[in-house]
Amino acid sequence: MADTILDVEGLTKNFGSKKVLKNVSFSVEKGHIVGLVGPNGAGKSTIMKAILGLFNYPSGKITLDGQPVSQTSHQALEKVGALIEYPGIYPFLSGLQHLELFSNDGVSKQQIMDVVDKMKMGSYIKRKAKTYSLGMKQKLGIALALVNHPALIILDEPMNGLDPQANKDLRTIILDLAKQGTTFLISSHILSELEKLIDDLIVIDKGQIVYRGDMATLESGSTRSMVLQTSDDAKAKDILSQNGYKLIDSDHVSVVEDETTKMADIIKLLSTNNIEIEDVKHVHSDLETSLLDLLKNDKVKEG
Amino acid sequence: MVTLVRQEIFKLVHKKSTWATSIILLVIMTIFAVISRNHPNTIDPKTIFVSLFTGFDWIVLFMIAAASSIISMEFQYGTIKELLYRKYYRGEILVSKWLAMVLYSIYFIALAFVYSLILKLILFNGTFQLSETYGNKHSILVTALYTSLSGFVALWLVLSLVLLLANLFKSSAAAISVGIIGYFAINVVSSMLIIAIKKWTWLKWNPLNMMNYPNQVISPSLKHMTLLSTNELLIGSLVYMVIFLGISYSVFKRRNV
Repeated sequence: MADTILDVEGLTKNFGSKKVLKNVSFSVEKGHIVGLVGPNGAGKSTIMKAILGLFNYPSGKITLDGQPVSQTSHQALEKVGALIEYPGIYPFLSGLQHLELFSNDGVSKQQIMDVVDKMKMGSYIKRKAKTYSLGMKQKLGIALALVNHPALIILDEPMNGLDPQANKDLRTIILDLAKQGTTFLISSHILSELEKLIDDLIVIDKGQIVYRGDMATLESGSTRSMVLQTSDDAKAKDILSQNGYKLIDSDHVSVVEDETTKMADIIKLLSTNNIEIEDVKHVHSDLETSLLDLLKNDKVKEG
Repeated sequence: MVTLVRQEIFKLVHKKSTWATSIILLVIMTIFAVISRNHPNTIDPKTIFVSLFTGFDWIVLFMIAAASSIISMEFQYGTIKELLYRKYYRGEILVSKWLAMVLYSIYFIALAFVYSLILKLILFNGTFQLSETYGNKHSILVTALYTSLSGFVALWLVLSLVLLLANLFKSSAAAISVGIIGYFAINVVSSMLIIAIKKWTWLKWNPLNMMNYPNQVISPSLKHMTLLSTNELLIGSLVYMVIFLGISYSVFKRRNV
C-alpha cells in the first residue's frame, strides 16, 4: 500500500432510528482522485460531513494523515478544503472578500488571484456574491475549497450548475492538482464526468459500501458488444449463433465482442446468407451501466 | 482565536447595516439634542445628556438585531459548515462571535459617548457644566459614565438571552422580539413587578428585576422596590449571563449541521 492520507474505519451513524451509515470502511491514497458514488440518500454527504468533523458518530474511526478527526478534534482539518452540498455565500461580501476571509494567514494576495484566474472568475470576482448565478456561486465554493492549497480536497457534487466549459476547466484543475500530489474525494451524480477523472471508486448504497476498488477492475467486468440492424434480424441471429458467436438476449442482434471478433467476418457471413446490414454500433458498457448493474444486483463486493 | 475574531469583524465591517446603524444613531442623537436645545422645558438637557441623547436605547435596539443575526445568518446563508469544518474547535467559533459582539457594543457606546460630548460642546456650551452635580452626588459627566457602564451590564444581560434564543431557534426573528420586549418591558411591567416582588419575595431574583441595575446605580433608593442591593443586582446579572451563555455553548457544541 502506498501512503494513505485518509482512513475511515467502521463508521456508523444514525439519524434517530434510521441507520444512515453502516460500518463504512475505506482508505484514500495520497495523490489519488477518488469518486464517491451512490443514489440519492445513500449517505455520500454524510460520509463527507463525518470526515469534516461536523458531527459525532457512535462508532468508527477517521484518521487524516495519521491524526484522528471527530467533532471534538479538528486539528487535522487544517490540511483539508471542502465544498459540501451547496456553497455557503455571504450576500454582502464579494467573491474576492470571501476568499480573503477564508484564506489562511500564509496565503498571499497573489496566491488568491492565481486561484481566481484558474477558475476564470476574474470578470466578476469583485462583484457582490448575491448577484452571482448558480454556476458562479458553485465556482466560488470550489475556489474556497482550493484557496488554502490543502492536501485533501473534498468536493460534494462539484459539477452542479457548471456549464460545459466550466466543467472542462474544473477537470483540468483537478487533474493538475492531483499530479502535484493533492488528493481528491469527489461525489457526483454525473457519472460520465467522474469517469474522466477518477483513479478509484467507492460505490455506496443504503449506507453501505457496495464496491470499492480501482476503475480498471470495474471496467474489465463490463462487456463490449456489437449491435447490428439487419434486413432480417431473426434469421441473422440464427446464423450467427450457428457459427459460434455469442449473442446477448435482446430485441436487436447483439454480438458479444472479444479480441477475436472481426466485423469483416460477420459482414461476410451475413451477406453470403443474403442478409443486408443497415447499421452497426459498438456498445461499450460505461461506468454508468456497470454502476447501475451493481446497484441493481445489490450485492456487497469488497474490492 | 484572534484570527477568528478578526474574521467576524471583517464580516461586520463589510455589512452595510453596520455603518447604516452608526449613522442613524448619530442622526437620532442630533435630533434629540436639537429638540432639547429648543425646548429645554419639555426635554431637560441634563437628563438627556446623561442618557447619551437617547443613544443608549438605540444601541440596545441595534445590538439586539446584530447579536440575533450573528449566528442565525450563518444558518441562513449556509455558511455554518464552512465555518465549522476548519481546524478550529466549535466552542472557539462561538466565543469568537461573542467577542466580536462585545467589541461591537463597546464601539457603539464609545461612539455615542464621544458624540454626546461633541453635541454638548456645540449645542449646550452655556446651558450646563459637565462638572455640575446631578441627582445625588456625582457630576453630570460621572453620572453619564456610570449610566453607560451599568447600562452595558444590562445590555449584555439582554444580549446573552438573545444569543441563546437565536442559537436555539436558528432564526433571528424570535430572538429579536424577545430581546426588544425583554429590554423595554421593564419600564412597562415594573410597577406590576414591584407589587409581585412585595408579595412573593423570591421573585426578586428574576432576570427582569436585574434589568433595574442601571436605574438603581443612578437612584440608589430603588433598592426599596427591587429588594436587592446594587451589588446583588450586578452579581445577579452576571450569573444570568453565565447561565444563558453556558446553555448557548452546550447547544452549539451538540448541534448537527
